[in-house]
Amino acid sequence: MNRKFVMAGVVVLFLALPSLAAITAQHVDPIPTKESFVPEDMIKARERAAIVPELVTEVREESLYQRRKTLLEKGVGIQDVKHTFMLLDSPIIKAEHEDFYEPVRFMHGKHISVVDGDCSKCHHLRPTDPELSETVACSACHQKAFDPERPERIGLKAAYHIQCMTCHEEMKKGPVDCLGCHSRNAPDHEELVKLRPDPEPWDVTAECLRCHEKQGEDMLRSAHWLWRGPSPYTVERTKEVMSGKATNAVNNF
Amino acid sequence: MVCHDTTDTYKKTPTAAGMPDPAVDLVAVAKKVGKPTRKTCGDCHMSGGGGDGVKHADMSPQLYYPGRSCDVHMGGYDMQCHDCHKTQNHRIWGRSSSVAVAEGSRSCEDCHTASPHYGQQLLDYHLNKHTEHLLCTTCHAPLYSKCQPTKMLWDWSTAGDKERVVEKDKYGLELYDPRKGDFVWKESAKPEYAWTTGLTKRVLLGDPVNLEGETNLTEPVGYFNDPKSRIAPYKVMRGIQMADAQHGYLIVPHLFPRDKDDPTAYWKHFDWQKSFTAGMQAAGFPYSGEYTWVKTNMYWKLNHEIMPKENALSCAQCHDSLKDEKACLRCHQENKEVNFKELARKGTDFETMAAKGRDVVDLIGATDYIDFKKLGYKGDPIIHGGRFKTLPLGFVPVEEEQ
Repeated sequence: MNRKFVMAGVVVLFLALPSLAAITAQHVDPIPTKESFVPEDMIKARERAAIVPELVTEVREESLYQRRKTLLEKGVGIQDVKHTFMLLDSPIIKAEHEDFYEPVRFMHGKHISVVDGDCSKCHHLRPTDPELSETVACSACHQKAFDPERPERIGLKAAYHIQCMTCHEEMKKGPVDCLGCHSRNAPDHEELVKLRPDPEPWDVTAECLRCHEKQGEDMLRSAHWLWRGPSPYTVERTKEVMSGKATNAVNNF
Repeated sequence: MVCHDTTDTYKKTPTAAGMPDPAVDLVAVAKKVGKPTRKTCGDCHMSGGGGDGVKHADMSPQLYYPGRSCDVHMGGYDMQCHDCHKTQNHRIWGRSSSVAVAEGSRSCEDCHTASPHYGQQLLDYHLNKHTEHLLCTTCHAPLYSKCQPTKMLWDWSTAGDKERVVEKDKYGLELYDPRKGDFVWKESAKPEYAWTTGLTKRVLLGDPVNLEGETNLTEPVGYFNDPKSRIAPYKVMRGIQMADAQHGYLIVPHLFPRDKDDPTAYWKHFDWQKSFTAGMQAAGFPYSGEYTWVKTNMYWKLNHEIMPKENALSCAQCHDSLKDEKACLRCHQENKEVNFKELARKGTDFETMAAKGRDVVDLIGATDYIDFKKLGYKGDPIIHGGRFKTLPLGFVPVEEEQ
């Protein structure tokens, strides 16, 4: 009888003090959920990406050499990088073009480092207005494409592509293909998928393969399907192609 | 669809040989297919080994929606698996310590370069020099299984006792399962460190194992005096498992019953002989009929659960000599503007982590974190010299003076 009473007491205590229950179950966090997920760096980058700066109408014409010299004299460099991470996802581009690709994750800090702190590599001109920064955002000058008022300026999408790809080619570093920088958005399959109600699992596979036949062929040759494949990083077996869980893997769990 | 589901409703039934759970609305899932996510990859890779966080040290379902301090790439920047593990024709780059098969490789340097500390400050210079000798994860993943414990030891030899009262550890996790044997769990574990060239030495099925001592089923290949080798962090999974006493190789047991009439599965009959005979027959290796238990270790390289830079190991946490500023002054002049002591101590704060419930009390105040002597150094390289050179200036090591 005593024991029953104590058990009841514990239950009441836990109900009254849920935080105590959390403390006693120490060292194991609950599995987080989609709802509670806050990727703060990404959220901030997204907020910054949504800002369209006021258009810079006048820029100071100077040679790239002069620009670099000015920045060096003013001591503008790596230490002035405000945001090491940026998302290139401007509403300017999305308003003009179809949204085929995901935004580019741009490592600003890494890029300024690999060009040895030479900001003029990208920030090639500055606004005439002395109040504005030496290194305004790309989207401050490059906005609308084919703007009849400013035919000498290329639009933001072209500016990004020419700047990134030209430099990657020159430095022989960094991707120059589409998917190297941004992967393709998956199209909405709501209308594309044609299935009868309550299909068999193999009906669904057949429906996927109706359009994705090549992907199906690729899948059948992948390690994720075969559970075996090449083992280039295993000593004495670097030339073998049949290693894996389907053939010869052992473990101790 | 298991890989491309975005609705989080697709499920398989364990006994249906890969077929989806009949309760899944297949049309709804098919109409919402999209890119894989941490959840779709993780359903297999983060729960591997028979449960959440069991075998992988650096991946658990915590990474579906992690906090920033749990993994900065996934929790801070919302990166999905395929953002690093790029895919060509459904062949996915990346390699694991656990299996030999690999269809490509990824490393931190692919994005971050070999000089990943972008600033031009004193610390950045020294940290960038470190990348010649260690992988990023050595400092940036100083703990593994931070939010959910992982199995450290699995003893199959004690399985089968259905009468035994199952005890739980401080995490509330069971220490015994009659189907599987005894376990030891650990949350926020300190890695073991070893040299690696990137290659792995493995025992594969049919390879001889040491019946008396221990066998490393996987181990990194690397050497102290090889400039290409670098220090990397590992979880070492320890096991006691079955081996053929005559043939001297490991045994594959048959565990999971194929159906309710399965005559040999261990998890139905609890008879090792039946299970081993059936398992080895399926694997295509002879079984002598005589078995023994052997000790095995698996080195699992840690690649995920990267901590933000503020929480990477500090200089002083490895270099004992930097606990005071004397060692910095071997090369640097004293300068009122620079607080060497503070710089050297900026890093992983085990005290705060312990206060937040992490199991790291024993690591507070730790130094020589990566164990220099075990790695082949004579001691702290600042005092005793590095692999290929010694600091040109400063004092003679105290021990030598005496």
